[in-house]
Amino acid sequence: MEELLKKYWNCETTLEEEKQLREFFGANHIPDQLKDTAALFRYFEEAKKKSLNDVAFEGQVLRKVNPSRGKVAKLIYNTMRIAAGLAVVIAATWFIRNEIRDTTPQAVVDTYNDPKLAFEETKKALLMISKSFGTAEEQARKINMFNEAQEEIQGKN
Amino acid sequence: MNIEAFQNRVLPAKNKLFRFALKFLGNEEEAKDVVQEVFIRVWNGRDQMNEVQNWEAWCMRITKNLSLDRIRAVTRRQTQPIEDGYHVLHESLSPYESTEIQESMNRIDQFIAALPEKQRQVIHLRDVEGYSYNEICDIMELDMNQVKVNLFRARNAVREKLMKINAYGL
Repeated sequence: MEELLKKYWNCETTLEEEKQLREFFGANHIPDQLKDTAALFRYFEEAKKKSLNDVAFEGQVLRKVNPSRGKVAKLIYNTMRIAAGLAVVIAATWFIRNEIRDTTPQAVVDTYNDPKLAFEETKKALLMISKSFGTAEEQARKINMFNEAQEEIQGKN
Repeated sequence: MNIEAFQNRVLPAKNKLFRFALKFLGNEEEAKDVVQEVFIRVWNGRDQMNEVQNWEAWCMRITKNLSLDRIRAVTRRQTQPIEDGYHVLHESLSPYESTEIQESMNRIDQFIAALPEKQRQVIHLRDVEGYSYNEICDIMELDMNQVKVNLFRARNAVREKLMKINAYGL
């Protein structure tokens, strides 16, 4: 052991021999004259136990080196938001279109093939309107008469 | 290298890198920051990793360089011992003995902290971390002769101080 220690102080020991020294000094019974050297070897052993006491450390490093997972999640999230927006717009358009279809009459389609017959029918329709107007005028005249009478009474007063 | 390989192969070196950075900086928070930066650099340079023969030594070298950059940035020299000292607990020892051991641990820590930087790092790499001389050359960017000279001086400086304590009871 003395020889090995001498080699150690001269930096001539191999890693294997240094391991032997550590094992020797790690044992309980050390000769008094070697107590100091034992303390030094004990120091080396203790120093090796020092560790990075932070459970969150690896997580922090991984988040910093690999933010791509976060990026993908963000991309999916944003795409879903846009898709949801589009779905609402499409649904709204669909409902409004249906609503308009239900309330507005269908486009005018030809009902007669014969122009003569069509002319007759049109004439009939216009005549009916004209007749209705006539009736309306008659009623309006009555109201007018009533108005004139009212004005006359008011004028007298 | 993918993230799983990084997690399984590189991240477990965190304690070694942390102890090494701590030897330079003497402050746990700063050492932790350095280790984090080392990992980010290793990840960013992962394509070169295939060319690197010994990636752990490569990480250690980055740790050394970043720690030195930090020291230069604050123009400060680390001489204070590691903050919380050593707490050695052995059930077989009496309270007196364990106090004595603790004191000697702290004393050795001070001796090592007082060594010139290169000596301090070389003795740490060899005697605490158990690196080969070639690996230490690689990490410290020194030649074999310089590594051995620094280790010889470091070991013998600590030994002399220990012998002095013993002789004079200082």
